[in-house]
Amino acid sequence: MPFGRGAQNDARCVIRDEDQARFQTVVLPHLDDCYRLARWLTGNRADAEDVVQEACLDAFRGIKGFNGSHARAWVLTIVRHAAYRWLRKNRPAALVVVDDLEALSVPGAQIADSAATPEAALIAQADTARLGQAIAALPVPFRETLVLRDVNGLDYRDIADVTGVPIGTVMSRLARARRRLITTLRPNDP
Amino acid sequence: MIAPAPRSDNSLLVHGYLDGELDPAHALELERAIAADPALAAERSRTQALRDLIHDRLASERAPAGLRTRIESAVGLRRERPRPSWSMLAAASVLVAVMASGTTWLTVREPQTDAAEMVVADHLRALMAPQPTDVSSSDRHTVKPWFNGRVPQAPKVVDLTREGYPLIGGRIDVVGRMPVPTLVYGHNQHLISLSAIPATSVNAPARRTIAGFNVLEWSDNAVRYWAVSDLGASDLDSFAKAFRAAEPDG
Repeated sequence: MPFGRGAQNDARCVIRDEDQARFQTVVLPHLDDCYRLARWLTGNRADAEDVVQEACLDAFRGIKGFNGSHARAWVLTIVRHAAYRWLRKNRPAALVVVDDLEALSVPGAQIADSAATPEAALIAQADTARLGQAIAALPVPFRETLVLRDVNGLDYRDIADVTGVPIGTVMSRLARARRRLITTLRPNDP
Repeated sequence: MIAPAPRSDNSLLVHGYLDGELDPAHALELERAIAADPALAAERSRTQALRDLIHDRLASERAPAGLRTRIESAVGLRRERPRPSWSMLAAASVLVAVMASGTTWLTVREPQTDAAEMVVADHLRALMAPQPTDVSSSDRHTVKPWFNGRVPQAPKVVDLTREGYPLIGGRIDVVGRMPVPTLVYGHNQHLISLSAIPATSVNAPARRTIAGFNVLEWSDNAVRYWAVSDLGASDLDSFAKAFRAAEPDG
């Protein structure tokens, strides 16, 4: 009997070690990306840490279900879910979408006629705090798309996987998010 | 790669273009459109500036080291004991500095060791511990009974919140091999340890400074009290006055 039980324990340890090794190669390399996404979805760093920790435990428990490709998108999907759980609990209003998300008749036209070069130069000098506030003010679907692309550097395919929308939607959300930011960051209207 | 979109969506495709998501044929087509349309060119330079801005300012933020450590511990990747936190290290360095500077601090001058030095040592130890109390409560009806059975006589416990010294809790200190009840009070960000030792002799109130801490000693009803804090002497005096004036709990 003691032998049998010992063998079983050994087997369990081996499985656990395998999970840990996978966790180390699949999840941990993307911890910074996880943190950056959670930081912008929750809106603050302390809650981002909680969300990331919870997501990593979810990832550890589900590591066997990982199919071996697009590790970063897989991990960020889990972080996004954890962040949404947090939002539902703590910022339910943030998930109520007022805008018609995919409508594209956005500011674009009205800012299109300003002179190109000085405007771009002014955007380049925008204050970091102001940029942060402008991003924080974006509706969640725009914000996550923008952060996944411009902060995390994911391509449209991966963003589509993480957010569960078609690639065309990724591009249109990105366009709208960026236009809103440009409108906000633009120096005062004359 | 993005599927062909209607030509009117060129301003949308600018984004796919800048993100390198257009196939070469569409990218070329869009470049021509940008060259021919100043509004489109403006959208491109604005968007490019924004992308660069976000990348420069926000893309390099790293996860805090503590988060990585906690996650590694949570999944069993760290089996060693957790490393001491910065605050503990800071407290330890303070202790080392105190030990290095006060040459007399650890030397036992007389066969009978100085109680004041011991209550200071207990106070220091409490500051370094995860929490300075064994029982944490602002309710004296919780704190006082906690001492029963732990020390021969539970101390007088009063709440001095109104006087600006809220009760934080209590703990057992050891002074001269004797378990001694110690109450912990707060004042702004500072802590006061108040140890109560049964005494036969009555001493006049006395004040001194040990290792940078103010120590105040007085006797009431056959109990000798020692208050230790990094508070200023006058604040500690006010505390003692408030404590002595407060009605013993009945």
